[in-house]
Amino acid sequence: MSVLVAYATRSFRLLREEVFVLPARTVFLLICILLLLFPLISQEPFILRVFILAGIFAIFAASWDLLSGFTGQINFGHALFFGVAAYTAALLNWNLGLAPWATIPLGAAAAVLAGLVVGIPCLRLRGTYLAFATLAFPLILLGVVYAIPKITYGELGIYGIEPLAGSRVASYYIAIPSMIVLGFVMWKITDSKIGLVFHAIREDEVTARASGINTTRYKLLAFCLSGLFAGIAGGLYAHFVKAASPSTLELLLSFQVIIWAVFGGIATIYGPMAGVLILYPLTEFVLIRYLAVPSETRLLIFASIVLLVLLFMPQGLTTWLRDRTEKICPRCKLQNLAWRRKCRVCTAELG
Amino acid sequence: MAENIIIYGLLSSGVYALLAVGFSLIFGVARIANLSHTAFYMLAAYLIYTFASALGLNLYLSIILAIITVTAVGIISYRLLIARVRQHEATTLIVTIAMAVIIQEAILKAFGGQPRGVPKLLSGSTEILGVSVLNQQLLTLGVVILMLLVTWIFLMKTKTGVAIRSTAQDREVANLMGINVSRMEMLTMAISVGLAAIAGALVAPLFVLTPGMWAHPLVMILAVVVLGGLGSLKGSLIGALVLGFAENLVVFSRPEGAYLKTSVALTVMLIVILIKPEGLFGIVFEEERG
Amino acid sequence: MKWLIKGATFLLIACLILAALGCADEEAKEIRVGVIGPMQFQMGEHHWMGATLAADEINAAGGIKVGDEYYKIKLVQVDSNELVSPADAATAAERAITVDRVDFLMGTIRSEGAMAVQEVAMDHQTIFMVCGSSETKMSDKVAQDYARYKYWFRVTPFNNTYLGMMNFTLVGMVAQQVVAQLHTAPKLAILAEKASWTDAIVAAAQTILPTKGIQVVSEVWRPSGQADDVTAELLAIKDSGANMIMTALSGTVGIAYGRTWGELQIPAASVGINVMAQADDFWENTNEYGNYEMTLNVYARDVELTEKTAAFMDAFIAEKGQTPTYNAGTYDALYILKEAIERADSLDQDNIVAFLEETDYIGTGGRFVFDAKHDVTWGPGYVTGVGVQWQNGELKGVWPPADGSWPTGGPSVTYAGIVAYQMPPWVIDYWT
Repeated sequence: MSVLVAYATRSFRLLREEVFVLPARTVFLLICILLLLFPLISQEPFILRVFILAGIFAIFAASWDLLSGFTGQINFGHALFFGVAAYTAALLNWNLGLAPWATIPLGAAAAVLAGLVVGIPCLRLRGTYLAFATLAFPLILLGVVYAIPKITYGELGIYGIEPLAGSRVASYYIAIPSMIVLGFVMWKITDSKIGLVFHAIREDEVTARASGINTTRYKLLAFCLSGLFAGIAGGLYAHFVKAASPSTLELLLSFQVIIWAVFGGIATIYGPMAGVLILYPLTEFVLIRYLAVPSETRLLIFASIVLLVLLFMPQGLTTWLRDRTEKICPRCKLQNLAWRRKCRVCTAELG
Repeated sequence: MAENIIIYGLLSSGVYALLAVGFSLIFGVARIANLSHTAFYMLAAYLIYTFASALGLNLYLSIILAIITVTAVGIISYRLLIARVRQHEATTLIVTIAMAVIIQEAILKAFGGQPRGVPKLLSGSTEILGVSVLNQQLLTLGVVILMLLVTWIFLMKTKTGVAIRSTAQDREVANLMGINVSRMEMLTMAISVGLAAIAGALVAPLFVLTPGMWAHPLVMILAVVVLGGLGSLKGSLIGALVLGFAENLVVFSRPEGAYLKTSVALTVMLIVILIKPEGLFGIVFEEERG
Repeated sequence: MKWLIKGATFLLIACLILAALGCADEEAKEIRVGVIGPMQFQMGEHHWMGATLAADEINAAGGIKVGDEYYKIKLVQVDSNELVSPADAATAAERAITVDRVDFLMGTIRSEGAMAVQEVAMDHQTIFMVCGSSETKMSDKVAQDYARYKYWFRVTPFNNTYLGMMNFTLVGMVAQQVVAQLHTAPKLAILAEKASWTDAIVAAAQTILPTKGIQVVSEVWRPSGQADDVTAELLAIKDSGANMIMTALSGTVGIAYGRTWGELQIPAASVGINVMAQADDFWENTNEYGNYEMTLNVYARDVELTEKTAAFMDAFIAEKGQTPTYNAGTYDALYILKEAIERADSLDQDNIVAFLEETDYIGTGGRFVFDAKHDVTWGPGYVTGVGVQWQNGELKGVWPPADGSWPTGGPSVTYAGIVAYQMPPWVIDYWT
């Protein structure tokens, strides 16, 4: 009993000192709670479907950020990880009958391998070269998928694999908690020493190497970690839509994930997730249903919103909001409310 | 078969080269990776369709009008959109992708998704080394070579060309030498988009126009410029030749794998840059330090 | 000033939301049918136009009678976006079923999209009538798991197996012409886009055609369905010495093919499946070089498949300005559905399925009878399709031949409006 009380007190203190002090974190906590309670308000299958897909894509977009936003290794072929995991999961389920709880981690493992396959050759490339070279990987794999229709069923994809869960609500309670937990894990990683090194690699790789950091190892780590999370998203996706199809490898998806991430604000983890959670439901049903926008204009509106927002907030939505509500303490580097005079921890003047 | 590969390899390389040179030029001068480059190429093709087939204008007039319009759209979008975000690399990429998607969707709205065809300037075919080649394809190749030559002479021999090249080499020093850098960048953008429009005009009668026709050439020119070396015009030319020939080699030697031609070309690109990471003729940029 | 704009925007949004909610109040006594297809493309437009014509006629005649009540048909347009992104089709289908509350779905063209929609429709036990994709895997599922997939039917076209059989019949007909007019033995090259539906046709062609005295070139050319240019493939085919080309093309590559084939005067008669050649704008898109291109089809402008065909053709052309393609089979599909509902005298899906299975309906495309896998039956006395050829700007019916002979025997099939096949003159010049 006393243990429970101790935990409760501790989490309450954590909430008060680490979450409620910043509006952004409070908002995130509220969004998580709202998402978790949503099925109590509505169980309309279509809305749940949109939120499940948004949750899966949010993991995917955050995994892109983990690699590209933090280390600056812009990946133009991120769909590779998603597609490799989706196909691995689907093939294992289809041929060996493994259940989703086994196929999704195995799919993610395959995506980690894919991360190595892309990462090792790309270590020698930088900047725009890296970006355009990575573009090639998923497209080459797409050729392979078409070339072996006996295994992959070619352009049709593998249809009719086991669903994620028996009901829509159950799927929702797999996808949304996964998104919250994995998002938090990714945020924690970037907040740790590893994250600091990632930042250093992006800002100045030469100096990072000069300070004794094995940047090669860290860049590979970034590729693998990113592949891992993108792979989990890919596996979840395959089992949710009950199919692995070539569209999981196509150029459109690789572009889409970058659009979501940059729209939300890169090098934040929560930015790309917010980008998906705003844009995906907006274009999939909010505009169509409540503003009577015809569904054919979806892509046009999507691109126009992205364009307009980025013109006024070139660093992305959440970064723009953060810069207006938070200030970094010059001494202890902790975030503070923008309108505070003194740091909440070390009481230094915030200037 | 070898004659086939040589002639058709040259033909497909030509269009890639024209597109890649334009893309490379603006990247070299202003460090802008303009992913809407091939969307402008598509726009030119559709404008020719509008002027010639829908409005019934003279074909030559339509082509000139289309090239002028696309170049103007390019300059306007550069001023209003790209120039405002260009210091953020990732944002520039997304803004140009968004532009491409908007052009695609606008075309879809205006023309619908069904494929369209544009009349040819020249009809009929000619035999070269025993290979039948469409006259329009020969014209395309001729114009491509001409445009590449004109671009090269402009950059190498004229005062403006030298100014553009010096901007590409070092913005700050160029600025100090009294070169109006932002004007040079805008001029380069205009040339770049203009070349894309010319490429569009050349392939419009050969290809089928669909709102998705920008994606495949975009992938190919990204591969070409990476293969040849970013910002290098000579590299773009060689890169286009390598990939154009790789594609045709697949079609002629492995007919049952013709659909794999893009995958094979991309694999060739990857192998080359693994051996030579800065591309065949890449300019090694200084470490840009924050 | 600023608050004014903000306030106005807020009010505007609020009004729009209220308006949207207001619209949700449904009128009673209607049957909602979702027409799902790529609505920004010609295929989707034909899905919609075919269904609209049928719905208007049925509604004008009172509607669908169930019990003592007459129900009006309310069509809902569902954009599947399947040609751009097949994954969108599933979301669109689910939105149609759960949000727009459609009772039935019909349409789709691309196999990937159609299979995704099939899964969603079966999840919701909603009858889904395909008018566009020929993929056999969909009907195989009906056989494998009847309880789940029984809500699925295919109205147009007939499935891949039948398409292949009809294709070989057309090849046989052109082969006879090759012997008669070119005085050489038929030698056939296969040009098939890389896709699941063509794999079976290619494999069958390589085994079946040689037994019928048609030599098949060992190489098979497999471009991508979206390829811009097939000059290289066509030149290689010319070098192979073939005097016939069998096509299996559904994507835009069909236009590039038709145009280059005519302009380079490839000395081989073209026959097979070229979906792009079924549309009116093929003539213009190929700059008229598509002349003599031949393909199988479900409709032809001047061929009266049944007594209902001509009236439908005229109505469709009057409304749309285009000859209907097989996607306009939604017209027949809606009538077939109406008949089944009226015979079932119920709106219960399971009940309607039972009566749909007993369908024997003469529509605009022929006599529709579903087989055990819920596929439309192909053959003499049922739906036959037509072989069509571009002849000087017009798409003419050239098969079944005027004598009505059917290769495998069976009752003879003759339609009014069939003309003779024309061998391309440059092919004759080259070989004689």
